[in-house]
Formats: sequence, structure tokens, C-alpha cells
Amino acid sequence: MNPALDQLLVAALILGALGFFLTRFLRKRSSGKACGSDCGGTTKSTPKIRP
Amino acid sequence: MNAPAPAPVGEVVRHVAIAGNPNCGKSTIFNGLTGLRQKVGNYPGVTVEKKTGRFFGSHGEAMELLDLPGSYSLQVRSPDEAVARDVLLGRLPGTPRPDAVICVVDASNLERNLYLVAQMLELQIPVVVALNMVDVAEKNGLVIDLMALREKLGVPVIPTVATKGVGFIELRQAVSRTPLPNPPHCAQMPIVLELETVALAKQLPVAQEVARGEALLLLTLHEQAIDELVHHDRAIIAATKAAQERLRAAGIDPTSAPVEARYQWIGQICSAALHRSGLLNAVHPSDRLDAWLTHRVWGWVAFLAMMTLMFFCIFTVAAYPMDWIDAGIGALGKWVGDLLPESDLRSLITDGVIAGVGGVVIFLPQILILFFFLGILEDTGYMARAAFIMDRLMSRVGLHGKSFIPMLSSFACAIPGIMATRTIENRKDRLVTILVAPLMSCSARLPVYALMIAVFIPMASALGKAGIMLAMYLLGIFAAFAMAWLFKKTLLRGETPMLLLEMPPYRMPAWRTVLLRMWERGLLFLRRAGTVILALSILLWALATYPKPSNPDTPASEAIAHSFAGKMGHAIEPLIAPLGYDWKIGIGLIASFAAREVFVGTMSIVYAVESGDDEDITPLRDVMIGEIHENGAPVFTPLVCIGLMVFYVLAMQCISTVAIVRRETNTWRWPLFQIAYMTALAWLGAFVVYRGGQLFGWQ
Repeated sequence: MNPALDQLLVAALILGALGFFLTRFLRKRSSGKACGSDCGGTTKSTPKIRP
Repeated sequence: MNAPAPAPVGEVVRHVAIAGNPNCGKSTIFNGLTGLRQKVGNYPGVTVEKKTGRFFGSHGEAMELLDLPGSYSLQVRSPDEAVARDVLLGRLPGTPRPDAVICVVDASNLERNLYLVAQMLELQIPVVVALNMVDVAEKNGLVIDLMALREKLGVPVIPTVATKGVGFIELRQAVSRTPLPNPPHCAQMPIVLELETVALAKQLPVAQEVARGEALLLLTLHEQAIDELVHHDRAIIAATKAAQERLRAAGIDPTSAPVEARYQWIGQICSAALHRSGLLNAVHPSDRLDAWLTHRVWGWVAFLAMMTLMFFCIFTVAAYPMDWIDAGIGALGKWVGDLLPESDLRSLITDGVIAGVGGVVIFLPQILILFFFLGILEDTGYMARAAFIMDRLMSRVGLHGKSFIPMLSSFACAIPGIMATRTIENRKDRLVTILVAPLMSCSARLPVYALMIAVFIPMASALGKAGIMLAMYLLGIFAAFAMAWLFKKTLLRGETPMLLLEMPPYRMPAWRTVLLRMWERGLLFLRRAGTVILALSILLWALATYPKPSNPDTPASEAIAHSFAGKMGHAIEPLIAPLGYDWKIGIGLIASFAAREVFVGTMSIVYAVESGDDEDITPLRDVMIGEIHENGAPVFTPLVCIGLMVFYVLAMQCISTVAIVRRETNTWRWPLFQIAYMTALAWLGAFVVYRGGQLFGWQ
């Protein structure tokens, strides 16, 4: 494989993985959620668990 | 009058909620109506699972069915019950107020179940009553006069046997009726209370039809609950308190008067519609079974036998599909390896993506088997008995029986375990359970234990290896109980509430419900593996690969020392050296902070094992056994291996659990505290094993 193409594809995958976490974080931040699509998330207005 | 325009095909024409007491067959009816057209998510703003599905009315019109959490009344005690109330009041963002409610009523326990119906009717929402388990009621000697019940309630009443699919067609027809009438009757409140309710309702900024119901709910709140209200402003809170004062002055207790009025109304309904035959006095088969299954001694024997069977199946039956998945992953890795030329891309796909995601997907059979057993235990009604039996033990450490189910679930994975704490009403107990649940050995720890046992005692018998594995599980249980006791004595001090638990009658499990639950959990697990774990595997591979040494012929073990991961391993070496670990183990600890199972894969990369199959730990074991320090001493001595296992028993090492604890507590304070205390405990545990063992002259 062409080394340049190899590095380009690897970089794309790594940036894709970073982008995944970044967009996940930004999406949650904008919607006020605390976690990802698999668990639904929590808005910031929810009362905290207080002992 | 013009007929309304027909809705486009497939468009939801009606939002229907399904409500009812716990164990009344609500989920079975939900599953029966919606089948696989289900979606599991969460209500925005709260930590309660939202389950919706689509079903079709008698004319083929699409309707959305929302499964509300089980609730005995709309007086809220737990987060689950708060959701049911808020949905019905139409104040939960993103969830429209239902156009109708199917209220599932356990026919064998009519009087108690009608209480929730009474409250529903007060909310002026069209209600269809699904009178479920009529067969059980009949066997118990109860005769229900349907006509009388319909007449007294003023709403359609459909007899159903959800486990056999009886009554579903009639239920669809009843819900399809257009327009669905609002309930004509509800319990009559004392006149003074009624006047105060109407006056308060006028001040509430809510739709007219729900105002009376909401005002009544406000008036029945205790003082502390009123102070904690988040949906109303100060003026409403002040008006509620003033109204309560006036009611007390008039000799009416606002917290109990509506309850009494509703039960009086229910009493009138039952005297007209419920008749008992002579069979009623016969001992119920459930009671005969309970004499054994909740017995002080035999109850424990049965409980331990059931748990043993569950774990036996998790570790043995699951081994076959796990081997198939393992072989599939190995073949895929080999195929990709053959397809692509030697390059970074090939390494990333085989060592990063396939090994990383495959290492997680391999646990799918165990997760499915666990949920299969949990489904059966719950559906048969045994789970309530298990909680009752465990309550005796849990109360010794300050928890009650309801904490048992989250802790049991944590053996598969701490995430469903922590989510299961939602049923615990007491905040402190819920928090303590969340804090200790990850100490139970989850399935992700299995590969680490298996690797360390293989390195520690490669020639031992299967029984000897199983003994060490069991010891690790017992250590996790002991640590969870000890920490729960400590938290209840210090940080989260408080009275343990008495366990009030309904013992539902034993029944055959609804296989469809059990299988659907397995399907849901399997999908959620695979979705996570395909997203978060995939991205994480790519990043971990990059950290262990870059920067590359300038000489391309550098051995793999030196190349990893040069990488970012290697530098991180060196950075934490002073911290882990007292435990007998070197920087290479440090890399494994850092990499597996995100997910414990990553430790095995990372060790393969670190020790440059030339194996196409990451799940086959034999070559890795041999390399690890032969690994030596600069002074010639072996790295993986028995004490280091046991210390590492103890470390993994006690350490948090799971980023998903951190996220779920953050979500469930809605603050970073508790997950950070949990990481800190568990890491400190793990370090201390490994230190005691290593240094303590050395004091005795062991290696």
C-alpha cells in the first residue's frame, strides 16, 4: 500500500474517533444531557441526589 | 358536521400511555400490543427508562404506546413514580400528555389496584381499564361482575389474560374508539376539601382538565415534600400551605382525607362488582410455595441453588457461543490481515478495531443469559422473595432488600445494576448502592482474572482455578458490603427504612416478555460496542503506536516504550512500583481505565505477542511468565498476579460506569468520589497483598 495513503486513512480513522467523542460531547452539552444516546441523558435542571 | 380528515398512513393518531401497579402484567400487555416495534430510551430530564412502541387500532390507525413505570399511586415516592405522574399531568418536556390511558388492573387484587384508577379518573383523562389476570382471580375464588364494574367506573373495562394474549383485540377496539369519552365519575371528596381544591386549581398555570387533579395532589403532600417542589413557584407553594392550614382548622387532614375518600369509593365499587366464592379460604399455592422459599433455612438453600444455577449457566452455557464469536472475530482478523498489506492501517484494523470491539462483543452471550435469568426470576414473582430473603443480610450493613437486585445485576455489568437502583425510594440508600455496586465482579473482569490465573498457576486443575476465581468474586461481595456499612455509618448516615414489599403470586413466565427484554439489552450492548468502544479502541491503538521510533526495525516492546502510552506508563511507574508493577503493567492499567477488558489486549501489544488471535491468551501467558526485571527477577510473581486481580476487583476502571453514575446522581461529585475511593481501595488492597506476602517470605 502507498505509505501516504496508509497514513491518510489511519489519520482519518483517528480523527473520526476523536470527532465522534467531540460531537457526542457537544451534542450533549447543547441538549443538556450527561451521557450518550444509549442511556438518554439528564438535563441540568434535574435535582441532584442529595444525601 | 364534517368528519375529521383521515391521518396519513403510518402517522400516529393517538398517544396512549399504559399504567398500573408493579407486577400487574403491564409490560406483558405492552409487549403483546407492540411486539418488536419498541424503542427504549430515557425521559429527558430524569433517569427513568422510557419505553415506547407502536401498535395499530382496530381500523389500522397507528398509535404510540408509552409504558409508564409501575406505580401504586400518584403520590410520589421514587423517581419512577414521579415520571408516571408528570407524564399524566402533561408536564414532562418532550412527552405529550397522553390522549388515553390503558390502566392495567390485577383482577386478583382489585381493591388495591383500583386506587390508581381512582386517581387517573380525577385527572380527567380517557381511561380504558384492562382487567388483567382474570384467570388467576377466578382460581382464587373471586367473581367479578364486569357490567357492574363498567357502570360504576364509567369507563370501558376489558378482561385480559396478558400471558396468553386473551383480550388484546377487545383492548385495541376500546382504545380505537373515537372520541374516547372523559371519565364521568370519580371519588367524591369532603365538601370543604373540594372547595379548597377548586380554589387552588384556579391558581395553577396548567390546562383546565388537569388543574383539579393536580391541586388535589398538591394538597395531599406532606410539608417537606411541598418545600421540595420544583414544578411550582413560591406563590403556589404558599397557597397550598395556606389551604392545608384552613383544612386542618376545619378538622380535615389534607394528607389522609383524599385517600379515605378514594378507598370509600373503591369499597362501594367492590361491594357491587366483586363477589367471593367459598374457594377463597383455601390455601393459595403461592402461600404453600412461600412457606419453603421464604423459610429461614430452606429459603437460603433455594436462593443459593438458583444463584449457582444462574452463574453456572453464565460461565458454562455462554462458553459455547463465546467460542463461536471468538472464532468469528479471529477469522475476521485473519481475513483482513490477509487482505491488506503490512501497514499501519492493517494494524489499526486488526489490533485496534477488531481486537478492541471483538473483545467486548464476546461478552454478549453472558449478558443475554443474565438477562434471561433475571427476566424469569422477575416474571415468576421470585425476585420479590429474593429481595425479602436478602433483606435480612442487607439490613446488617444498613441497606435493605431492594439493593439486592442492583447488586445482583452488577455481576453482569455495573451499568444495568446502577440503573436498577431507581426503584430504591430512599435517596441515601440509593446512593450507597450506586457507590458499592461496581465492586461486584462484572463480566468484564473475567478476562483479566483468567489471564492472571493462567500466569499465576498455569498447571493447576480446573477446580483450583475456579477456586481462585470464586475467591475474587467473594472478595468483591465482601468489599461491597463492608463499604456499604462504612458509608452508612459515616457519609450517608441514616435510618434504613423497613422493607415494604408486595409478594406477587407465582406464575409461569411470559416467554415473549423475557425474550424481548434480552433482545432490548442485547441491542443496547451492541450499539455501545459499535460506537463508544470502537472509537476508544482506535484511540488506544494510536496511543500505543505513536510516536514511532526513528528506526523501523526497533523491536515492538521498545517501540511501545517510545509511544505515548509507554510514556504514560513510565510516568505512573513511581505510583505503582510499591505494588510490584513495572511501567508495562502501568500501560495496561491506564488503557483499561476506560474498560477493564482492554487490559488483556493491551498486554498483548505491550509484550509484542505475535498472535493473530487476541482472545487466545496462551502465548501471552508464556511471554508474561518469562518476563523479567533488569535484575533478573520475574515480573509476574504469584504475589503480583494476585495483587493485580485484587486491584481489578476493587478498582473502578470503567468509563461507562463513571458516565452512568454521573447521570444517575446528576453531579460529578459522586462519580469522582467513587473513582477516588475505589482506586485508593484497589491500591491499598494490592499493596497489602504484595507487601504483606513479602513479609511472610512469599514471592
